Amino acid sequence: MSNEPEPSPFERRARELLRESVDHLDAATRSRLTQARHAALAARSRTQPKWLDLRVLAPGGAVAAVALVAVLLWGGPSHHPANDSGGEMDDLELLTDSDGYELSQEPDLDFIEWAAAMGETDPVGA
Amino acid sequence: MHHCPAAASATLLAVLAASPQGGAFLSATADPAAQTLNGFLAEVERKAFRMAQMALRHDDDALDAVQDAMLQLARRYANRPAAEWRPLFYRILENRIRDLQRRRTVRGRIMAFMPWSRDAEETDSDPVERAPDPAPGPVAQVEGSQIGVALQQAVGLLPARQREAFLLRNLEGLDVAETARAMGCSEGSVKTHYSRAVQNLREQLGEYMT
Repeated sequence: MSNEPEPSPFERRARELLRESVDHLDAATRSRLTQARHAALAARSRTQPKWLDLRVLAPGGAVAAVALVAVLLWGGPSHHPANDSGGEMDDLELLTDSDGYELSQEPDLDFIEWAAAMGETDPVGA
Repeated sequence: MHHCPAAASATLLAVLAASPQGGAFLSATADPAAQTLNGFLAEVERKAFRMAQMALRHDDDALDAVQDAMLQLARRYANRPAAEWRPLFYRILENRIRDLQRRRTVRGRIMAFMPWSRDAEETDSDPVERAPDPAPGPVAQVEGSQIGVALQQAVGLLPARQREAFLLRNLEGLDVAETARAMGCSEGSVKTHYSRAVQNLREQLGEYMT
Protein backbone atom coordinates (compact mmCIF):
# COMPACT_ATOMS: atom_id res chain seq x y z
CA MET A 1 0.00 0.00 0.00
CA SER A 2 2.75 2.43 0.94
CA ASN A 3 4.44 2.05 -2.47
CA GLU A 4 1.34 3.17 -4.30
CA PRO A 5 1.01 6.75 -5.51
CA GLU A 6 -1.29 9.13 -3.67
CA PRO A 7 -4.76 9.27 -5.23
CA SER A 8 -5.52 12.37 -7.26
CA PRO A 9 -8.34 14.74 -6.17
CA PHE A 10 -10.46 13.19 -8.93
CA GLU A 11 -9.93 9.69 -7.51
CA ARG A 12 -10.58 10.87 -3.95
CA ARG A 13 -13.86 12.48 -5.03
CA ALA A 14 -14.84 9.35 -6.93
CA ARG A 15 -14.19 7.24 -3.81
CA GLU A 16 -16.34 9.55 -1.69
CA LEU A 17 -19.21 9.40 -4.15
CA LEU A 18 -19.04 5.63 -4.53
CA ARG A 19 -18.95 5.06 -0.79
CA GLU A 20 -21.86 7.46 -0.28
CA SER A 21 -23.85 5.45 -2.79
CA VAL A 22 -23.17 2.33 -0.70
CA ASP A 23 -24.12 4.06 2.55
CA HIS A 24 -27.39 5.29 1.07
CA LEU A 25 -28.58 1.98 -0.24
CA ASP A 26 -32.33 1.70 0.26
CA ALA A 27 -33.78 -0.44 3.05
CA ALA A 28 -35.47 -2.93 0.73
CA THR A 29 -32.21 -3.75 -1.04
CA ARG A 30 -30.36 -4.00 2.27
CA SER A 31 -32.98 -6.42 3.52
CA ARG A 32 -32.72 -8.58 0.38
CA LEU A 33 -28.95 -8.65 0.72
CA THR A 34 -29.26 -9.78 4.33
CA GLN A 35 -31.61 -12.56 3.25
CA ALA A 36 -29.16 -13.60 0.54
CA ARG A 37 -26.35 -13.73 3.10
CA HIS A 38 -28.39 -15.87 5.47
CA ALA A 39 -29.26 -18.21 2.60
CA ALA A 40 -25.56 -18.54 1.75
CA LEU A 41 -24.69 -19.34 5.37
CA ALA A 42 -27.51 -21.87 5.55
CA ALA A 43 -26.26 -23.48 2.32
CA ARG A 44 -22.77 -23.71 3.81
CA SER A 45 -24.04 -25.50 6.89
CA ARG A 46 -26.04 -27.89 4.68
CA THR A 47 -23.15 -28.70 2.34
CA GLN A 48 -20.65 -29.26 5.14
CA PRO A 49 -21.82 -32.07 7.45
CA LYS A 50 -20.21 -32.19 10.88
CA TRP A 51 -18.63 -35.58 10.30
CA LEU A 52 -16.71 -34.17 7.34
CA ASP A 53 -15.17 -31.49 9.50
CA LEU A 54 -11.37 -31.96 9.58
CA ARG A 55 -11.31 -31.22 13.28
CA VAL A 56 -13.59 -34.21 13.80
CA LEU A 57 -11.82 -36.44 11.30
CA ALA A 58 -8.27 -35.69 12.45
CA PRO A 59 -8.20 -37.75 15.71
CA GLY A 60 -9.83 -40.76 14.05
CA GLY A 61 -7.46 -40.49 11.11
CA ALA A 62 -4.44 -40.33 13.42
CA VAL A 63 -5.56 -43.44 15.31
CA ALA A 64 -6.15 -45.29 12.03
CA ALA A 65 -2.70 -44.26 10.74
CA VAL A 66 -0.98 -45.44 13.95
CA ALA A 67 -2.87 -48.75 13.79
CA LEU A 68 -1.88 -49.23 10.15
CA VAL A 69 1.80 -48.58 10.91
CA ALA A 70 1.64 -50.99 13.87
CA VAL A 71 0.11 -53.72 11.71
CA LEU A 72 2.74 -53.22 9.03
CA LEU A 73 5.60 -53.31 11.54
CA TRP A 74 4.19 -56.31 13.41
CA GLY A 75 3.40 -58.41 10.35
CA GLY A 76 6.19 -57.09 8.15
CA PRO A 77 9.13 -59.49 8.84
CA SER A 78 6.95 -62.62 8.66
CA HIS A 79 5.48 -61.56 5.37
CA HIS A 80 7.20 -62.95 2.31
CA PRO A 81 6.77 -61.81 -1.23
CA ALA A 82 5.19 -64.13 -3.79
CA ASN A 83 8.45 -65.68 -4.98
CA ASP A 84 9.28 -66.78 -1.44
CA SER A 85 6.26 -69.02 -1.32
CA GLY A 86 7.91 -71.27 -3.93
CA GLY A 87 10.90 -71.59 -1.58
CA GLU A 88 8.63 -72.69 1.24
CA MET A 89 7.16 -75.37 -1.00
CA ASP A 90 10.68 -76.55 -1.97
CA ASP A 91 11.64 -76.91 1.70
CA LEU A 92 8.47 -78.93 2.32
CA GLU A 93 9.26 -81.26 -0.59
CA LEU A 94 12.79 -81.78 0.73
CA LEU A 95 11.46 -82.73 4.15
CA THR A 96 8.97 -85.28 2.77
CA ASP A 97 11.25 -86.72 0.09
CA SER A 98 14.30 -88.51 1.49
CA ASP A 99 15.97 -88.85 -1.98
CA GLY A 100 15.60 -85.20 -2.55
CA TYR A 101 17.17 -84.43 0.79
CA GLU A 102 20.19 -86.64 0.02
CA LEU A 103 20.61 -85.08 -3.39
CA SER A 104 20.45 -81.64 -1.88
CA GLN A 105 23.41 -82.60 0.30
CA GLU A 106 25.56 -83.61 -2.73
CA PRO A 107 28.62 -81.39 -3.09
CA ASP A 108 28.42 -81.50 -6.90
CA LEU A 109 24.77 -80.66 -7.27
CA ASP A 110 25.35 -78.75 -10.51
CA PHE A 111 26.65 -81.90 -12.23
CA ILE A 112 23.64 -83.94 -11.10
CA GLU A 113 21.25 -81.28 -12.37
CA TRP A 114 23.13 -81.20 -15.72
CA ALA A 115 23.00 -84.99 -16.01
CA ALA A 116 19.26 -84.99 -15.24
CA ALA A 117 18.69 -82.33 -17.87
CA MET A 118 20.64 -84.32 -20.48
CA GLY A 119 18.60 -87.40 -19.62
CA GLU A 120 15.37 -85.48 -20.26
CA THR A 121 16.54 -84.07 -23.61
CA ASP A 122 18.03 -87.36 -24.80
CA PRO A 123 16.04 -90.20 -23.15
CA VAL A 124 17.46 -92.88 -25.52
CA GLY A 125 21.00 -92.26 -24.31
CA ALA A 126 22.45 -92.10 -27.79
CA MET B 1 -43.90 4.23 23.50
CA HIS B 2 -40.80 2.46 24.83
CA HIS B 3 -39.24 -0.60 23.30
CA CYS B 4 -37.26 -3.05 25.37
CA PRO B 5 -34.12 -4.08 23.40
CA ALA B 6 -33.95 -7.48 25.10
CA ALA B 7 -37.54 -8.25 24.20
CA ALA B 8 -36.94 -7.11 20.64
CA SER B 9 -33.89 -9.35 20.38
CA ALA B 10 -35.84 -12.28 21.77
CA THR B 11 -38.62 -11.68 19.27
CA LEU B 12 -36.12 -11.48 16.42
CA LEU B 13 -34.47 -14.74 17.50
CA ALA B 14 -37.84 -16.44 17.77
CA VAL B 15 -38.80 -15.27 14.28
CA LEU B 16 -35.44 -16.38 12.86
CA ALA B 17 -35.64 -19.76 14.57
CA ALA B 18 -39.15 -20.30 13.26
CA SER B 19 -38.20 -19.81 9.62
CA PRO B 20 -36.24 -22.60 7.88
CA GLN B 21 -33.51 -20.26 6.63
CA GLY B 22 -33.34 -18.40 9.90
CA GLY B 23 -33.03 -21.61 11.90
CA ALA B 24 -30.15 -22.75 9.74
CA PHE B 25 -28.62 -19.29 10.02
CA LEU B 26 -28.79 -19.35 13.80
CA SER B 27 -27.21 -22.80 14.00
CA ALA B 28 -24.54 -21.67 11.52
CA THR B 29 -23.71 -18.57 13.49
CA ALA B 30 -23.06 -20.69 16.58
CA ASP B 31 -19.99 -21.89 14.66
CA PRO B 32 -17.08 -19.38 14.84
CA ALA B 33 -16.13 -20.05 11.20
CA ALA B 34 -19.69 -19.25 10.15
CA GLN B 35 -19.58 -16.08 12.21
CA THR B 36 -16.38 -15.01 10.44
CA LEU B 37 -17.95 -15.71 7.07
CA ASN B 38 -21.10 -13.85 8.08
CA GLY B 39 -19.00 -10.84 9.07
CA PHE B 40 -17.12 -10.91 5.79
CA LEU B 41 -20.26 -11.19 3.66
CA ALA B 42 -21.97 -8.42 5.66
CA GLU B 43 -18.99 -6.18 5.00
CA VAL B 44 -18.86 -6.73 1.24
CA GLU B 45 -22.49 -7.24 0.28
CA ARG B 46 -23.48 -3.61 -0.30
CA LYS B 47 -20.33 -2.75 -2.21
CA ALA B 48 -20.74 -5.90 -4.26
CA PHE B 49 -24.33 -4.96 -5.02
CA ARG B 50 -23.30 -1.50 -6.25
CA MET B 51 -20.58 -3.03 -8.44
CA ALA B 52 -23.03 -5.48 -9.97
CA GLN B 53 -25.68 -2.79 -10.36
CA MET B 54 -23.30 -0.49 -12.24
CA ALA B 55 -22.27 -3.32 -14.58
CA LEU B 56 -25.73 -4.81 -15.15
CA ARG B 57 -27.89 -1.70 -14.70
CA HIS B 58 -30.64 -3.84 -13.29
CA ASP B 59 -31.39 -4.22 -9.57
CA ASP B 60 -32.77 -7.77 -9.66
CA ASP B 61 -29.92 -9.05 -11.84
CA ALA B 62 -27.43 -7.34 -9.51
CA LEU B 63 -29.01 -9.02 -6.48
CA ASP B 64 -28.93 -12.37 -8.27
CA ALA B 65 -25.24 -11.91 -9.05
CA VAL B 66 -24.37 -11.04 -5.46
CA GLN B 67 -26.46 -13.88 -4.06
CA ASP B 68 -24.84 -16.40 -6.41
CA ALA B 69 -21.37 -15.14 -5.49
CA MET B 70 -22.19 -15.46 -1.77
CA LEU B 71 -23.55 -18.98 -2.24
CA GLN B 72 -20.56 -20.11 -4.25
CA LEU B 73 -18.09 -18.67 -1.76
CA ALA B 74 -19.93 -20.25 1.17
CA ARG B 75 -20.26 -23.64 -0.49
CA ARG B 76 -16.87 -24.00 -2.13
CA TYR B 77 -14.38 -21.72 -0.44
CA ALA B 78 -15.56 -21.25 3.15
CA ASN B 79 -12.81 -23.60 4.33
CA ARG B 80 -10.09 -21.48 2.74
CA PRO B 81 -8.28 -18.93 4.95
CA ALA B 82 -10.40 -15.83 5.48
CA ALA B 83 -7.65 -13.67 3.94
CA GLU B 84 -8.32 -15.35 0.57
CA TRP B 85 -12.07 -14.70 0.57
CA ARG B 86 -12.07 -11.13 -0.71
CA PRO B 87 -10.26 -11.69 -4.04
CA LEU B 88 -12.11 -14.99 -4.50
CA PHE B 89 -15.47 -13.39 -3.85
CA TYR B 90 -14.91 -10.57 -6.31
CA ARG B 91 -13.65 -12.95 -8.97
CA ILE B 92 -16.76 -15.08 -8.57
CA LEU B 93 -18.93 -11.96 -8.68
CA GLU B 94 -17.32 -10.69 -11.87
CA ASN B 95 -17.74 -14.08 -13.54
CA ARG B 96 -21.39 -14.05 -12.57
CA ILE B 97 -21.83 -10.52 -13.91
CA ARG B 98 -20.34 -11.58 -17.25
CA ASP B 99 -22.58 -14.65 -17.39
CA LEU B 100 -25.62 -12.45 -16.89
CA GLN B 101 -24.41 -9.95 -19.50
CA ARG B 102 -23.83 -12.75 -22.03
CA ARG B 103 -27.22 -14.25 -21.29
CA ARG B 104 -28.83 -10.87 -21.77
CA THR B 105 -27.04 -10.37 -25.09
CA VAL B 106 -28.09 -13.80 -26.36
CA ARG B 107 -31.66 -13.20 -25.22
CA GLY B 108 -31.65 -9.84 -27.02
CA ARG B 109 -30.41 -11.45 -30.25
CA ILE B 110 -33.01 -14.20 -30.11
CA MET B 111 -35.79 -11.74 -29.38
CA ALA B 112 -34.67 -9.58 -32.31
CA PHE B 113 -35.51 -12.46 -34.69
CA MET B 114 -39.00 -12.93 -33.26
CA PRO B 115 -41.73 -11.38 -35.42
CA TRP B 116 -43.69 -10.03 -32.44
CA SER B 117 -40.66 -8.18 -31.12
CA ARG B 118 -40.44 -5.93 -34.21
CA ASP B 119 -43.27 -3.68 -33.03
CA ALA B 120 -41.80 -3.42 -29.57
CA GLU B 121 -38.48 -2.43 -31.11
CA GLU B 122 -40.02 0.76 -32.40
CA THR B 123 -40.84 1.99 -28.93
CA ASP B 124 -38.01 0.69 -26.77
CA SER B 125 -35.19 -0.87 -28.69
CA ASP B 126 -32.38 -1.19 -26.13
CA PRO B 127 -33.03 -3.38 -23.06
CA VAL B 128 -30.18 -1.62 -21.24
CA GLU B 129 -31.93 1.71 -21.71
CA ARG B 130 -35.15 0.19 -20.43
CA ALA B 131 -33.41 -1.10 -17.31
CA PRO B 132 -34.12 0.80 -14.10
CA ASP B 133 -31.91 3.73 -13.38
CA PRO B 134 -29.28 2.87 -10.73
CA ALA B 135 -30.19 5.93 -8.70
CA PRO B 136 -29.01 5.61 -5.11
CA GLY B 137 -32.27 6.93 -3.63
CA PRO B 138 -33.49 10.43 -2.74
CA VAL B 139 -31.11 11.02 0.19
CA ALA B 140 -28.04 10.31 -1.88
CA GLN B 141 -29.38 12.37 -4.75
CA VAL B 142 -29.79 15.38 -2.48
CA GLU B 143 -26.41 14.92 -0.80
CA GLY B 144 -24.36 13.87 -3.80
CA SER B 145 -26.47 15.86 -6.24
CA GLN B 146 -26.57 14.20 -9.66
CA ILE B 147 -22.84 13.71 -9.90
CA GLY B 148 -22.93 10.43 -7.97
CA VAL B 149 -25.49 9.04 -10.41
CA ALA B 150 -23.48 10.36 -13.36
CA LEU B 151 -20.35 8.68 -11.99
CA GLN B 152 -22.14 5.35 -11.59
CA GLN B 153 -23.52 5.54 -15.11
CA ALA B 154 -20.11 6.44 -16.53
CA VAL B 155 -18.43 3.59 -14.63
CA GLY B 156 -21.10 1.22 -15.92
CA LEU B 157 -20.21 2.15 -19.50
CA LEU B 158 -16.49 1.44 -19.08
CA PRO B 159 -15.01 -1.72 -20.65
CA ALA B 160 -15.36 -4.62 -18.20
CA ARG B 161 -11.72 -4.83 -17.09
CA GLN B 162 -11.44 -1.07 -16.60
CA ARG B 163 -14.67 -1.01 -14.60
CA GLU B 164 -13.49 -3.92 -12.49
CA ALA B 165 -10.11 -2.36 -11.74
CA PHE B 166 -11.61 1.04 -10.97
CA LEU B 167 -14.27 -0.33 -8.59
CA LEU B 168 -12.03 -2.79 -6.80
CA ARG B 169 -9.54 -0.02 -6.15
CA ASN B 170 -11.92 2.81 -5.29
CA LEU B 171 -15.05 1.16 -3.92
CA GLU B 172 -13.62 -1.93 -2.27
CA GLY B 173 -10.31 -0.25 -1.48
CA LEU B 174 -8.06 -3.08 -2.63
CA ASP B 175 -4.42 -2.32 -3.39
CA VAL B 176 -2.84 -3.22 -6.73
CA ALA B 177 -1.67 -6.68 -5.62
CA GLU B 178 -5.08 -7.60 -4.17
CA THR B 179 -6.84 -6.25 -7.25
CA ALA B 180 -4.57 -8.37 -9.45
CA ARG B 181 -5.49 -11.47 -7.43
CA ALA B 182 -9.19 -10.66 -7.68
CA MET B 183 -8.98 -10.02 -11.42
CA GLY B 184 -6.69 -12.98 -12.10
CA CYS B 185 -4.10 -10.89 -13.94
CA SER B 186 -0.73 -9.23 -13.36
CA GLU B 187 -0.23 -6.08 -11.33
CA GLY B 188 0.97 -4.35 -14.49
CA SER B 189 -2.35 -5.13 -16.20
CA VAL B 190 -4.25 -3.75 -13.22
CA LYS B 191 -2.29 -0.49 -13.43
CA THR B 192 -2.99 -0.22 -17.15
CA HIS B 193 -6.73 -0.92 -16.81
CA TYR B 194 -7.00 1.41 -13.85
CA SER B 195 -5.21 4.35 -15.45
CA ARG B 196 -7.31 4.00 -18.61
CA ALA B 197 -10.47 3.92 -16.49
CA VAL B 198 -9.47 7.08 -14.65
CA GLN B 199 -8.59 8.78 -17.92
CA ASN B 200 -11.95 7.81 -19.49
CA LEU B 201 -13.92 8.98 -16.47
CA ARG B 202 -11.96 12.21 -16.18
CA GLU B 203 -12.72 12.99 -19.81
CA GLN B 204 -16.44 12.46 -19.19
CA LEU B 205 -16.85 13.90 -15.70
CA GLY B 206 -13.76 15.91 -14.98
CA GLU B 207 -15.40 19.30 -14.88
CA TYR B 208 -18.08 18.07 -12.44
CA MET B 209 -15.77 16.17 -10.15
CA THR B 210 -13.46 18.90 -8.90
